[in-house]
Amino acid sequence: MTFRDLIVVSTGNLRRMKLRTFLTTAGIVIAIAAFVSMLSFGAGNQQYVEGEFNKLGLFSTIQVYSQKESKDSLPPPKLDVPALDRLAAIPGVNLVYPYDAFAVEARVGDSVFSSRAQSLPSAAVRTKLFSHLAAGSAFDSNSARTVIVSDEFLKKAGVPPDSALGRSVVVSVKVSTIDSALGHILVDRGESIVQRLKRVRLDSLLQRRYRTRIVRQEASEIARRFVNGFLNAQGTVRDSLTIGGVRVRSTTGPMRIEPLIVPLATAMKFSSGGISGGPAELFAAMNNGTLFASSGEASAKTFSQVTIDFDPKVPYKAIRDSVEALGYRAFSFAAQFEELQRVFFYFDLALGVVGLIALITASLGIVNTMVMSITERRKEIGILKSLGADEPDIRRLFLVESGVIGLLGTCLGIAFGWLITRIVSAIAQAYMRNQGIPAMELFALPVWLLLLAVGIGVGVSVLAGWYPAARAARVDPVEALRGE
Amino acid sequence: MSNPGCKKAMPLSYHLPMNSEQYLQTIDLCRYYRRGPQTVHALDGVTMDVRRGEFMCVVGSSGSGKTTLLNLLAGLDTPTSGTVHFDGTALTALSRRQLSAYRARKVGMIFQSFNLIPHYTALQNVETALYFNGASPRERRECSRAILEKLGLADRLTHRPADLSGGEQQRVAVARAIVKNPEILFADEPTGNLDLENAQQITALLSALNREGLTIIMVTHNLDLAQQFSHRTIRMQYGRVIAGSPGRVGS
Repeated sequence: MTFRDLIVVSTGNLRRMKLRTFLTTAGIVIAIAAFVSMLSFGAGNQQYVEGEFNKLGLFSTIQVYSQKESKDSLPPPKLDVPALDRLAAIPGVNLVYPYDAFAVEARVGDSVFSSRAQSLPSAAVRTKLFSHLAAGSAFDSNSARTVIVSDEFLKKAGVPPDSALGRSVVVSVKVSTIDSALGHILVDRGESIVQRLKRVRLDSLLQRRYRTRIVRQEASEIARRFVNGFLNAQGTVRDSLTIGGVRVRSTTGPMRIEPLIVPLATAMKFSSGGISGGPAELFAAMNNGTLFASSGEASAKTFSQVTIDFDPKVPYKAIRDSVEALGYRAFSFAAQFEELQRVFFYFDLALGVVGLIALITASLGIVNTMVMSITERRKEIGILKSLGADEPDIRRLFLVESGVIGLLGTCLGIAFGWLITRIVSAIAQAYMRNQGIPAMELFALPVWLLLLAVGIGVGVSVLAGWYPAARAARVDPVEALRGE
Repeated sequence: MSNPGCKKAMPLSYHLPMNSEQYLQTIDLCRYYRRGPQTVHALDGVTMDVRRGEFMCVVGSSGSGKTTLLNLLAGLDTPTSGTVHFDGTALTALSRRQLSAYRARKVGMIFQSFNLIPHYTALQNVETALYFNGASPRERRECSRAILEKLGLADRLTHRPADLSGGEQQRVAVARAIVKNPEILFADEPTGNLDLENAQQITALLSALNREGLTIIMVTHNLDLAQQFSHRTIRMQYGRVIAGSPGRVGS
């Protein structure tokens, strides 16, 4: 019997037993629909994340931090301006820019509110990461007088996004200078010092413990005055800029991006001459040992984080290794995605196992149908054997029959599963829109999933038909022809 | 009555029955069944031979072992002991696959209860016999149609067995048995379920096939029919051949 003959005979038999075939196939349809819709959910999420990563160019982005401790006894290299040049010299690196943020007070129309800003070079703003603007465009020079604001910034300002472009934002930054803090240590304190010196018992200075106590007291007092001076002697730098672009905050992915993006050169005036971020930056600068450097020349400035944009053709591992070889810590989104893929794999596996259990349950229906079919068709098997069919012929006939049930059930199951995903997706998207969340596609039906569903559906069905087919093949033709 | 138009079917060289060599031979053939604690001796040491082109009838009462003998000769059953030789080959030495090929290419079978597949049409039933001897779908259809037309069933091709009379069903069964041009035809009481007129028609049909050279072994209760058409008749009782006599054709 050729394969075509087997298909013709099998489908003929299945057509004859319409109700039984329908019920058995329905079991497979439901199981495959469950399998497909569940894995489609996993695939959809994976595809969404991958799409977002691609959209933002995160696969070709690495973030660099300075090491807390170096392996040897030497201090870890600083993430300063010369470091930017060293990072830019790594082969395959397109662009290097630091994360340089500061607190601002913004005024848009009558609204005045606190916010945060970061300075970026114009080349960085044109990378995929920042180029997805809801309105307007990125600034084209580092000294442009335009800013990019987030939708949340506009919400705070009470400005609708569609009328935001061209409006002016007055940005005020309180700058605390180290000079003011240093000056505070001594200002109006001459009398106090005399009084303090008078209280010191000169004879006791011979004792070490007394000396230590006096030094500690004085150091503590100096530090207190320094901080007091830093916080209370701030100056304000103010500038009026124009909104040139609006960015949707939710599309920034895992990157930390501030609500206000200011061109690099334009932002210089806010940060030059002092520390502009308030107490947190002050203490950070003190810890890093960059407190006095920051008030000096620009090259002494250090950054908490630097972003590298590299050629997508270059493997991220090569860039990461080069960064680490320079003594910095590198965080790669591509590596993070690989981790995510592992999570997705286990997620898919769990969903797949649930679907597979449903399929195995449904396949018991096939076993039942085929066993019943054999009981009813014993005589037919006997006739076929008397006509020259051998055991493999009979086995194949019943295996193909169960395979046809499986294929039919799988095809309908995929269609049904797809329908389920469309319905759930429509409901979910309506809900997301209602909640003000950008609607995302939760499901995907990639080719590998279709092939997997067909393979598993038909495979499990054929396996289910194995025992009945083996029984059919063993039917004794003499017994079968004798029985009426 | 043979089907020479079918190229894929086995070529047959029909010989006259006179002075033919031994073609089918059994030697001390036994077939025992276990039925509970008892052993049933369905066939108990049968030694016989059939010549090429012979029409031999096997008669005997129910349970005498006629059908068992036929099943063993057709390769449907395997003997407990003894051998069956077909054209020089011991069937007992063949593998299951070779036995299936023997049934598919050399043997045609007709049964008392017709044994047609009820949900197939007459044409499909006949085609089924060609599934296992390598004929193409087109050849199968053409050969089956031709043989049914020859047997006067041209207007019954698409009828299912339930829509045919007993005589017509048996003619479909004969068509199915001979469509592959077998070398030997086994008929197990082919007239048992038919009225006299249809029985005579079927027997005449078999006789015509035999005259064209087909070797036929027919099991029957009807001694008159056996005598009328066969070359030789053997009688069986309790699983043994107890007598043999030449038929009218043979004499």
